[in-house]
Amino acid sequence: MGRLYERLCEDLRCLEGLKSCMNCGVCTAICPSAEFYRYDPRKICDTVQRADDESIEQLLKSDTIWYCGECMSCKTRCPRGNTPGLLIMALRKLSQEMGYFTDSEKGRQQFAIRRVIGDSILTTGYCMRPILVNPANHPEQGPVWEWVYNNLPEVMDKVGANYLKDGPGALRRIAPEVLSEINQIFQVTGGQDFFQLIEEFSKDKADEMCLDAGELGGDNAYFSEVYTKNSGNHH
Amino acid sequence: MEQEGKKRIWSEYQKEIADDHYFYVRSCIRQTFFPGSETTFLKILRDDLSRDVFEDARHTTCTGIGYHTDIVPFETIMTIAARHFALMTEAGYVNFVPSCVTSFGIYTEILDTWKHFPEMEAKARDYLWTATRREFKIPDNLSHTSDIIYRFRNELAELSGHRLVNKNDGKPLKVVEHIGCHYAKMFPKCGVGGAEFPAVLSGMVEAWGGEVIDYPERRHCCGFGFRQYLIKANRGYSLSNSKKKFESMQPYQPDFIVANCPGCAMFLDRWQYTIAEMEGITYDKSGKGIPVLTYEELAGLIMGYDPWVMGMQMHQISVEPLLDKIGIVYNKKDKYLGSKGQYIGVPQPPHFLLQ
Amino acid sequence: MNKTIVIVGGGPAGLEAAAALGSSPHHVLILEKEHNTGGKLKNWHHLFPNFADASEILKSLEKSLPLNNSEIKYDCDVFKMEQMDGNLLVSLKSGEKIKADAVLLATGFDLFDAYKKEEYGHGIYKNVITSSELEGMFVNNSFPDQLKDGLPKKIAMVHCVGSRDKKAGNMHCSKLCCITGVKQAIELRKYLSKSSVYNFYMDLRMYGQHFEELYQEAQEDYGVNFIRGRVSEIAEISDGKLQVKAEDTLSGRPMKMIFDLVVLLIGMTPATSAASIAQSLALPKSGSGFLAPVHQHISANETCIPGLFLAGTCREPLSLQESITDARAAALKIIEWLKLKDNH
Repeated sequence: MGRLYERLCEDLRCLEGLKSCMNCGVCTAICPSAEFYRYDPRKICDTVQRADDESIEQLLKSDTIWYCGECMSCKTRCPRGNTPGLLIMALRKLSQEMGYFTDSEKGRQQFAIRRVIGDSILTTGYCMRPILVNPANHPEQGPVWEWVYNNLPEVMDKVGANYLKDGPGALRRIAPEVLSEINQIFQVTGGQDFFQLIEEFSKDKADEMCLDAGELGGDNAYFSEVYTKNSGNHH
Repeated sequence: MEQEGKKRIWSEYQKEIADDHYFYVRSCIRQTFFPGSETTFLKILRDDLSRDVFEDARHTTCTGIGYHTDIVPFETIMTIAARHFALMTEAGYVNFVPSCVTSFGIYTEILDTWKHFPEMEAKARDYLWTATRREFKIPDNLSHTSDIIYRFRNELAELSGHRLVNKNDGKPLKVVEHIGCHYAKMFPKCGVGGAEFPAVLSGMVEAWGGEVIDYPERRHCCGFGFRQYLIKANRGYSLSNSKKKFESMQPYQPDFIVANCPGCAMFLDRWQYTIAEMEGITYDKSGKGIPVLTYEELAGLIMGYDPWVMGMQMHQISVEPLLDKIGIVYNKKDKYLGSKGQYIGVPQPPHFLLQ
Repeated sequence: MNKTIVIVGGGPAGLEAAAALGSSPHHVLILEKEHNTGGKLKNWHHLFPNFADASEILKSLEKSLPLNNSEIKYDCDVFKMEQMDGNLLVSLKSGEKIKADAVLLATGFDLFDAYKKEEYGHGIYKNVITSSELEGMFVNNSFPDQLKDGLPKKIAMVHCVGSRDKKAGNMHCSKLCCITGVKQAIELRKYLSKSSVYNFYMDLRMYGQHFEELYQEAQEDYGVNFIRGRVSEIAEISDGKLQVKAEDTLSGRPMKMIFDLVVLLIGMTPATSAASIAQSLALPKSGSGFLAPVHQHISANETCIPGLFLAGTCREPLSLQESITDARAAALKIIEWLKLKDNH
């Protein structure tokens, strides 16, 4: 039993996600990711239950663990009651704690997620808001969304939202004292430290790649790189 | 296909859904793309069904998208959830109703974890107290907003002015129902009808006169995949999974799609546009695409709500063909007007999809 | 002194035990819940691994019943037993009570109810049938129209349905579905010469005499295909055909195939008819709910209740051959026990 395996076993989602696997393949058979990527959740379960640190380290540094979409369809079907999707969550957590995530193209994307979603949670109280779905980055959203985006206050008002205003309602402004509670929770539970960890490892990697990661937001070269880079070697 | 067989399965998954006095929490994605659906839900519950729904302005995101993109630790999200339970407790409510399917899955997962690992619940109470000086009770009832509409489907059918019937030929409309993965796939017992043949949406459709289509990829994910959509480089995953569903449902010629998950409704709408732009393909015969509705919009339509007040102009796929089939009277010119009837411009027409 | 031995269940194990007790001086009473004896063997056409005619075997079992000291009561539902002065009092649903010096439970098994595997759609998709339903088609020589037209058919055999499945409530391996899948695949290839048959399996447990040979025969002489991956989902497509999803675990890729017919190889589950008896005597059960003997290795036919014995599939999944051997072993134990009882 190695060090990484033991750390994985400390994560509830590893305990819940993988009891024992008999390699039947029902998870892979219906996995949306297995059909799209070169990805096989069954093999991940098999690798982890072999408890070999060398293979686990390889997994933590690979693109493989970042292919899962966390739809959890695997949970419904596993005849042993495992959830490979939960195991993936434990692997991703450990990969970030160890700083291994910056070794892979898909892992490095965590930086962009932390910058966009992470900041949005702490500064606005929402995971996502209309303003984040910028048509320039989201051509797939189409011209109707572009029209909505350009007329947010009017459209939101028409459909009964309380856009950026106080009081209850959709898209209301979340009060500063509420945000300070949320920040406090992140502070106390380790959420803040985890964000910091992603920042630091990412900045090291950005330096190594001679790209600027800025201090905030997505207006920097490293963000653009991780947000858009697709080597095409994933299928 | 034997409907009796399905009913036998449904009968085993009868979940308890509270009857009144709901503590309502909103969805980030639904607020962004379908804010009118949340408005409609509250109107139906409060005005048509005379139910008490309470919303505390101090509630926030559940951080679910952060959790499922793996930047938010479990300890953090469970404490955010605990804070919402505390707001509910402080307001004197016991029935917790999230609008989002991701949130619903998260609350279900957290409650299940606390049941199996009581030390985690103790930890959550501790964290919450340290951070906010709040305390909470666990909800008596956790139901998704689609469960609530399902519960009142027959009452709504009685109150409604419209049926899901094609007024041109009198035949039931053919409906694809799409259930968000996190509604019942993780905890089948927590969803109406279970995970394999969920009844939450099909129950509504049938109560309102429509006919549900069972197509091979019915249970497949819409392809959101959290990081697989949010990061531009990964979006092929998202698109190709939706495409697989469209190809699978196409032979059945559905009149519309209804989803209970905010993300799914948005993706199934937008990816039809993207595929049309990229490949010149639509999955309906008219070339206009298959309209995608939220269940709140669907309930609102049969109740005679104005589609433009419900926000159906925010869909990329035009809903007018569906409104015409049902026989709903609407004002074409009002579609893109502002709240005071002012002109605020109109969207560019897409290159391939017909309007 | 002559004693009364009650055998609950007139299937192969019960019949064989009665035959073996024929040479003893005791009175043997078989209580059968149906109109006739034979149990599930009645619904079987040919048996693995040598395609022996099931009806012939049943006839020979019934023929060897001793006439002098045995009796069969039909349509008897045993629902309760109690211990009384060193004997067992057997209560029937009819109200009748029978005093027995020894009781042999040969209550057999139930077939797994395939609807519980919701993702396979049995009872919903008409072309999803069970192995037992297929066997019935061979017994009655009556096939659904879509199998009759002589056109090429693609058929999937799905292994482990309701076995080795914690979700379905059955952790145990039913062990006979594997060879049944091989046998029925050969029979389907013989009946529909233009068909192609695919077995979706996780492990093939070819443990018995000539099982492995039959597996090889299926591959070499009948061109039966074997894919190592458990079926995850079955869905109907518009023309009634079925889409099957599994992973080919040997190549590590998910696959989707279309079939005309899917046969679910349903496993064995504890008989519900034995449940109330077990409950009335507080008889222990194994993890999967089969009746538990005192000792799995050395006292497999004895229970913790004096005078109560087990034979056949009421205690674990067994083949016909094993059930028959087991019944004889149980008969021997009963004779020994009654001798002991006499000496006291």
